[in-house]
Amino acid sequence: MQFFWHIVAMICMSIPNILGFNLIFGKGKIFHFGPIGVSTVATYGVFVPLMHGFSYPSAIAIGFVLTMIISLLFAWLALRLEPDAFGVMAIAIHLSLLAVVINWISLTRGTRGLPDIPRFFFLQTTQSFALFTFIIALLWILFLFVLHRGSFGRSLDALAEQLWYAGSLGIDRRWVTVIAFLIGGLGALITNVIYCQYVFLVHPSDLNFPVFIFFVMVVVAGKPGSVPGVLCSLILLTLLREGMRFLPIPSEFIGSLRLLLFGLILFVAVWVRRDTLFPKARSV
Amino acid sequence: MSLLSVSHLSLTIQDHSILHGVSLSVDEGEIVGLIGPNGSGKTTLFNVLSGFLKPTSGSVHYRGQDITNVSPSKRAKLGIGRVFQNFGIFREMTLEENVLVALEALPKQDRKNLGNLKDVVHGTLDMVGLLSHAKKKAGSLSGGQMRLLEIARTLKSGKTFFLLDEPTAGVSPKMTEQVADLIRQLKIEGKTVVIIEHDLPFISRICDRVIVMDVGRVVLTGKPQEVKKSKELQELYFGAELV
Repeated sequence: MQFFWHIVAMICMSIPNILGFNLIFGKGKIFHFGPIGVSTVATYGVFVPLMHGFSYPSAIAIGFVLTMIISLLFAWLALRLEPDAFGVMAIAIHLSLLAVVINWISLTRGTRGLPDIPRFFFLQTTQSFALFTFIIALLWILFLFVLHRGSFGRSLDALAEQLWYAGSLGIDRRWVTVIAFLIGGLGALITNVIYCQYVFLVHPSDLNFPVFIFFVMVVVAGKPGSVPGVLCSLILLTLLREGMRFLPIPSEFIGSLRLLLFGLILFVAVWVRRDTLFPKARSV
Repeated sequence: MSLLSVSHLSLTIQDHSILHGVSLSVDEGEIVGLIGPNGSGKTTLFNVLSGFLKPTSGSVHYRGQDITNVSPSKRAKLGIGRVFQNFGIFREMTLEENVLVALEALPKQDRKNLGNLKDVVHGTLDMVGLLSHAKKKAGSLSGGQMRLLEIARTLKSGKTFFLLDEPTAGVSPKMTEQVADLIRQLKIEGKTVVIIEHDLPFISRICDRVIVMDVGRVVLTGKPQEVKKSKELQELYFGAELV
């Protein structure tokens, strides 16, 4: 039963971050390859101040401001760079941020991470985590579902299909892009504030490149831009990831096997969706 | 005062000069045809007027306001509508959504003045005989239907000045007449239209004035019948004066 609550908590706490990423990358078709860069800032932005004596509300407020700033930076770059250049730049920013947190040992303790992360008073058991994250996930799904189906979602769809056509109707690309990135940033903040409490630890290995591959895999396999599809994909792939622990193979091989399997799933998902994954270039 | 005034507009992209000091003006309520051979800079001029390309020099004034550096979305909010050569509709969206997304992009007050958006959407689709396709994806329409949808959408989204880039391209003769009727309807409603077209009889039928462009310059302007008879036009299109 404990494992069931653990799975529920893991899935539900990932939902804000994954659906935020799906809004930008899946629905907006913006080559945002830096969601884990945003997560890095969100995580360290909250827990470094917390470990240096700030209260939870103050630390979360600091983390919120820093997350919005990095989200605005990504939005600004997405508006100014060509899509592929932005993709490369986003990866570069993520890796640079990771290098900073690994090497700024006096502040972040580097690869040793920040241990003994205190939990909210109402999150002392796996069961309470599962219940709390379930409520948060439900609210977030509802929020994003309304957003996807409403005028904001249609504007994002229009911009994803053809920028000039959308612009000629009066759709403000800057406004829509900035809002999408800020929502993505908020999702990253919610997920990471909960996750680090759950594992009592902030560690750079939770913010490295394979985590981004998992994000892309979930969105691509679930159908980019689809909230129900991405949710199903997240549930199945989390079950697969967590279920692999029970395979009768030595534990040191499980990590490598998981990466191989995820790589294969991503390859197949991209292959299947190769015609619809990204917008086709259309002349005016 | 002219509704649109373009002065000495030039555009150079990667050392390639595309527009050379284009100057023209369009009065309110006029229907102006913009013609010229392929590569003469007509669509590029439209792209500058819509704000998608920034001119190297020169200026664009709309209702007396300098809009040379104004973004495309702000120009749209000022009332400038564009119909694209390759059907500027969103093929992955339904017809309803195609109209709705245009209405939702209007300034808040204009949106309120429209009343119930759903009714406006259905009215727009009904106007061009596409109401029965409301829930279909726009990509499933024929070329003519896409064109009608695009023009009707632009018309209903409160635009007062229309830039129509080859509205009859890829459209059957029967639907070409429907497009012509829609453009005449625009004139009746007091809207201003600039049309790029290669179909000279079509231009003659519906335009008040014609502007001829060649290699990025305005080379001729006048009433359709005058322009049609001019030697310059015949040389541009046919390489020699017609006997």
